[in-house]
Amino acid sequence: MRIPFKLALITSAVLLTACSTAPTNTTLLDQTRSEYQVARNSDSVNRYAASELTQSAEALDQANAASTAHENAEKVDRLAYLAKQKIAVAEDVAKQKSAEAVVADAEKQRNALRLASRTAQADKAIANADMANQIAAVSQINEQAAQATAQAEQARADRLEQQLKDLNAKKTEHGIIITFGDILFNTNEARLNPSGVGVAQKLAMILNENPQRTVQIGGFTDSTGSADYNMALSVRRATAVSDILSGAGVTAQRIGVKGYGMSNPIADNSTAQNRQLNRRVEITLSDAGGNIVGAR
Amino acid sequence: MKQTKYTLSIACCALILLVSGCTSMKDPATSNIAVSKNAIANADSADAAQFAPLELQSAREKLTRANAAMADKDYKLANDLAIQAQADAKVATSKANSSKAQAAADALNADIRVLQEELTRANNQ
Repeated sequence: MRIPFKLALITSAVLLTACSTAPTNTTLLDQTRSEYQVARNSDSVNRYAASELTQSAEALDQANAASTAHENAEKVDRLAYLAKQKIAVAEDVAKQKSAEAVVADAEKQRNALRLASRTAQADKAIANADMANQIAAVSQINEQAAQATAQAEQARADRLEQQLKDLNAKKTEHGIIITFGDILFNTNEARLNPSGVGVAQKLAMILNENPQRTVQIGGFTDSTGSADYNMALSVRRATAVSDILSGAGVTAQRIGVKGYGMSNPIADNSTAQNRQLNRRVEITLSDAGGNIVGAR
Repeated sequence: MKQTKYTLSIACCALILLVSGCTSMKDPATSNIAVSKNAIANADSADAAQFAPLELQSAREKLTRANAAMADKDYKLANDLAIQAQADAKVATSKANSSKAQAAADALNADIRVLQEELTRANNQ
């Protein structure tokens, strides 16, 4: 009876010691402790959720106290669960406040960007307006220039027409033809008389004022005398006109010279009057592009 | 006879203690259930149904069980469950609030990216 009693006493003492040295630990409590450590080490939780962190610390203290006091696992877990939920709240509050800080900052940034965007748009609109003005100014200048050119062109055409009229020019299927009649030459000679020289100089002036135009000079005679003689005479008379044009500054490339002799009469050679008509030099004037259409 | 009387008085005391112990938990349980209901209503108005449905569901279940425990006159269990329901409802509220704030921040950042792209394009044109 004595020995079993002693044994029971020792057993209970051991049991009590075991209890006092080993607090009630649960998985949930361990997990909650480590979650608390994470929260306590978080900058944003300390900054934004200090009071929530304190509340979770108090809740965890209660769970720890229950653990140390050897309360049953169920009670320890219940307290640990409450602490765990408070830690979750602290973390969430920290997240919320951080996000709100981001929003505040981002709103400033967005306003700055909107302003920059509007400024850029306004600048662009001004630049576009400037460019449009410049384009308008340039096109106005171009238009005026074109108008002036057209007027000058018209004036030159008008003047040319008047000048050709003065020279008795005729529009024919071969182009504009100016005829130097026999009376402009000394009789039986290739030399132009003063009237002929005057007409040739007027022609030279026309060519100088219309540098794109060229001339074809053709010499013709009547049927009196040998063909060779007449051919030579027609060439010399055409050349006489060409010489005056050259002397007045018309380049040789713009002048074509050809003798036709007694061919291509414009009247039969039966009367003296008709023969005089056939003795002539015909100047064919090119178009504005330098082309002579259907030159003889 | 004397021993019987002694035993009876101990039993009486124990019964009184037990009853008073149980009734002493009734008031805190009632009050904690009221607080829980309030916390769940708060979570609801913070859109917890959308942003923290699991936490809100857990809070509701625990409140239901707390009410059942009250009906069974298990006031201690009712009180514990009501306190847990409160904790869950608060988590639901804070989670919903942080989710909404995060969504707002994300939307704003996206907005800023678009603006920056527009500005870059405008400057390059």
